[in-house]
Amino acid sequence: MIVAWKHIVTKALPRLIFLVGFAWLCNWMYTRWYWQDDLDLHAELLSKFYDVRDSSDILYFGESSNMTTSPNDSLPLAISEFIDRDLIDYRVGTVDHAGYHVGQYLPVIKHIDPNGPVKAIIVTMNLRTFGPDVIHSPNEASLQKSSRLSENQAPLLNRFLASLNYYDKKTGHERDIMKWENWTYDTLRLANDSSTFDYPTVRRWCEVVKFPDSTGAENMPLRILADQNIKVYGFEVDEHNPMVQWCDEIVAVARQKGIHLFFSLLPENIQQSEELAGRNLAQLMRQNRDYLVHRYAVDGVTVINNLELIDDIHFLDREVFPTEHYDQFGREAIADQVSRAVVRVAP
Amino acid sequence: MLFNSVAFLIFLPLVVVLYYLLPNKYRWALLLAASYFFYGSWKVEFLTLIVFSTVVDFKVAHWLHRQDIKWKRRSLLAISLVSNLGLLFVFKYLKLFLPDIDAMQANIYTVDHPLQGLLVQGIYFSIPVGISFYTFQTLSYTIDVYFKRIEPEKHLGKFALFVTFFPQLVAGPIERFSRLMPQLKMKHSATYAHFKNAFRLMLYGFFIKLCIADNLAPLVDQVYANPGNFSQLHVWIGTLAFGFQIYADFAGYSLIAQGAALCLGINLMDNFRTPYLSTSIGEFWSRWHISLSTWFRDYLYIPLGGNRVKVFRWGVNIMLVFIISGFWHGANYTFLIWGGIHGVLYLIERVLRAFQSAVKRFNISLPAHRFFGLRPLKYLPNLASGIVIFAAVNLAWIFFRIDSIEHVGTHFGALWSSTGAQTLNFTWVIVIVLVIFVVFDILLYNKRFDRFMENKPLLVRWVVYAGLLWCIWAWAGMANHPFIYFQF
Repeated sequence: MIVAWKHIVTKALPRLIFLVGFAWLCNWMYTRWYWQDDLDLHAELLSKFYDVRDSSDILYFGESSNMTTSPNDSLPLAISEFIDRDLIDYRVGTVDHAGYHVGQYLPVIKHIDPNGPVKAIIVTMNLRTFGPDVIHSPNEASLQKSSRLSENQAPLLNRFLASLNYYDKKTGHERDIMKWENWTYDTLRLANDSSTFDYPTVRRWCEVVKFPDSTGAENMPLRILADQNIKVYGFEVDEHNPMVQWCDEIVAVARQKGIHLFFSLLPENIQQSEELAGRNLAQLMRQNRDYLVHRYAVDGVTVINNLELIDDIHFLDREVFPTEHYDQFGREAIADQVSRAVVRVAP
Repeated sequence: MLFNSVAFLIFLPLVVVLYYLLPNKYRWALLLAASYFFYGSWKVEFLTLIVFSTVVDFKVAHWLHRQDIKWKRRSLLAISLVSNLGLLFVFKYLKLFLPDIDAMQANIYTVDHPLQGLLVQGIYFSIPVGISFYTFQTLSYTIDVYFKRIEPEKHLGKFALFVTFFPQLVAGPIERFSRLMPQLKMKHSATYAHFKNAFRLMLYGFFIKLCIADNLAPLVDQVYANPGNFSQLHVWIGTLAFGFQIYADFAGYSLIAQGAALCLGINLMDNFRTPYLSTSIGEFWSRWHISLSTWFRDYLYIPLGGNRVKVFRWGVNIMLVFIISGFWHGANYTFLIWGGIHGVLYLIERVLRAFQSAVKRFNISLPAHRFFGLRPLKYLPNLASGIVIFAAVNLAWIFFRIDSIEHVGTHFGALWSSTGAQTLNFTWVIVIVLVIFVVFDILLYNKRFDRFMENKPLLVRWVVYAGLLWCIWAWAGMANHPFIYFQF
């Protein structure tokens, strides 16, 4: 038995050593000739980061809120571009991608060189992404693949792990069920209010007839919009929320690298949510906002609270779906808040 | 736990090391525990089904062995058939007889009770992984005991291992008791030759799964989702791509299964032998999913009378076997049609062969024989029939892959004429790995990869290994596609 194992080890060892050397060579070839193509296809955020990391003092991590403009804008600049315009002493680089969230920013932030020019990062914090509607979105598997490819380790290893689906790869159907379970079983309550909601779960809340007319029929466009608001904002944030855990990690990474972290909590259309779904929904949103603001009120981190910064009229998709897409006024207002916060920290 | 997962790459070496460290008498227990863990990693609840199937067949086989009265033996066999096929029916086919799936999918979000929701999910969406495979494996055991071809296993634990042996549990090869059980009981020693061959099989298996199947999957998905959006050429590319995808996917799985089993000293049967190089439908089925075709031959076709019946009855039997084998794949009428097409092609082929024999026997001179006064070239008929069979099999795959019968017309229409502007992202990396695959497939005609590599010079072997490793590491597809046959 021992002889057999000795034989196996003697034969296998030189081959394993060759394999390690060959893996190193492959990683070099892959990084040189193929990596960029894969990044462009699956992890564009990292690619954008590499484009700006050496020429920026501040990096702005954002999603579609940063880049979406209105045809009526006189200056169709992104929020990060407005910030760059306002902060004349700093170079602000943009690292953005539609549909991404803090889970995708985290692996990219890990690539920041503590000895490089980047001294601060602004990370957009989108309240909607903390809810089950986004956490269990059918796009999440693809986003997680992007995060896997962006990890700060040998690119070939990242690629191999991605091809083995080494990330949260639950199917759209599995995620639908999880979402349905959240909406059906998670009881909603207000922290400082002993009374419970009239409709304690999202599902019950959505089942209520909301806009009946004199004939008993319902105004369906309004009803649909109200239900969408309830589904995307009807949740309570706590420390088990995956977005909170990613935010915690971002805080840890920023501290470790000695860079200042700004969380820019994006404005939501609270006015509309309250009008369509009632005061309870607005209270929930504010409660979640407070949780995040307090949680990250720590050294080296600044939370910029923009939740109620913008009026209903400045939300571009307000008649279709609750999003964080703003007109020029909205984007400039956010940029102004962020710029002021940056100046306060590093005048 | 999928073979193409990090978990499996940790799980397998761990099991192998523990297996050889343990004394032989405890190894079955380790393998059984590992197999249950492997299966339970999908959904623990489904372990109850496999345990149920195991216990029923174990007990039935023992009662059968002790019973000589014919009607009682038949009743016992019926118990096994009903319980196994009943499970298969409930979890796989019941949905065919229930209301529209879309309506039920909507219903899943409105059912009130969690149990009710679970039931809907269970019946509609969560087919227990590999249920068709292990059900057929246990059925073959009971039938063999019924016909007194084998003695029943006395040890429940070892029998449970035969049913659940993890390398072949979820997608075969469907092994026979007489072949697998003695190997599971035998004492195996770790040898370099075993590990070497296992490595080769798994290397090639991973190459064809990750680089061929997973790279082609997104192209196939796009074309099958909206064939009308693509140009005619691209619809053809997408359609043929599925032929390669399913072959690489399933053959890749089978090779990894064989490699994993070989690490434990166990030889699983070959499931594929370069099927696309077949020159007849009969030959195709002797090379494609061999363990299933031989199962249907031994447990359905021969009991129905095989070819020892009148011609009409024989034709009916052939159609029955092919249609049932189509239905085995899934609860959709498209699978029935797919099986039916293969049955019809097989019958046509047999009629033509009979005609050919008659031509030879009566020395009838046909124009082809008088061509320039020469005999037809030796290899031309083989090449021509190879191309015809390849085309027929690939066109039949459309029924296998298509979502529903209503879309068949659209797909064939797009093959005939389509002016869509969308193009497939058919990169040169895909072209290179496909060329490597096709060249290997031709070289491996009637050979297995590990044996093929055995006699090659050292340099050739290592160039091949290095090339395959490069492809797996740098060019593998990144589409999240589980093995196609897991759904069956």
